[in-house]
Amino acid sequence: MTVRNPAFRSYQRRMGIASVLYVAAIFTASSLLHDRSPPGIASVVIALVPGVAIVLMIYSIARLLLDLDDEFLRLLEVRKALFATGLSLAGCSVWGLLEIYTAGPALPVFWVFPLWCAGLGGGVLFNRLTLGSGACA
Amino acid sequence: MTNRLKVLRAERSWSQQDLAERLGVSRQSINAIETGKYDPSLPLAFRIAGLFALPIETIFLAD
Repeated sequence: MTVRNPAFRSYQRRMGIASVLYVAAIFTASSLLHDRSPPGIASVVIALVPGVAIVLMIYSIARLLLDLDDEFLRLLEVRKALFATGLSLAGCSVWGLLEIYTAGPALPVFWVFPLWCAGLGGGVLFNRLTLGSGACA
Repeated sequence: MTNRLKVLRAERSWSQQDLAERLGVSRQSINAIETGKYDPSLPLAFRIAGLFALPIETIFLAD
């Protein structure tokens, strides 16, 4: 029977908490604030709460890399993160050039982290193609 | 680098999961090492050599 590494269970617990917090914070902010609300202490605090959840997600990923005691599984996760980082850097940089030199629509920086997360999925595929194994997280 | 891990494991009738549990690593790690897709770190290579009671250079061979 395959035993799942405890680091993945901790990761999923942290990510679950962060995801629930994120969804709740987004719904709260969307219902209380309209787009481009005038800046005030209350509106800034409400708008930043989803950011706390995103920081918690990034912390969860960092803790997974630190907690994984299996060197091969850690390698898979690091490769996934590197793939996602390269993809998001390339995507944002190329899009930025389009914004500068053409009349292309501006990409809100909010989308950088979701793009990075999507890149993790690409990293799983990259691992499967090159190492024959994706990852467990 | 090549290795004789699969042969040594088969001689003892161990599955990949058996060997993984003895070494305290994942089954994916054993599979990746056996298929040559991943070379283990020196500490893990020493643990493997210790488990089979063999010199490390008789398990892991330079190409």
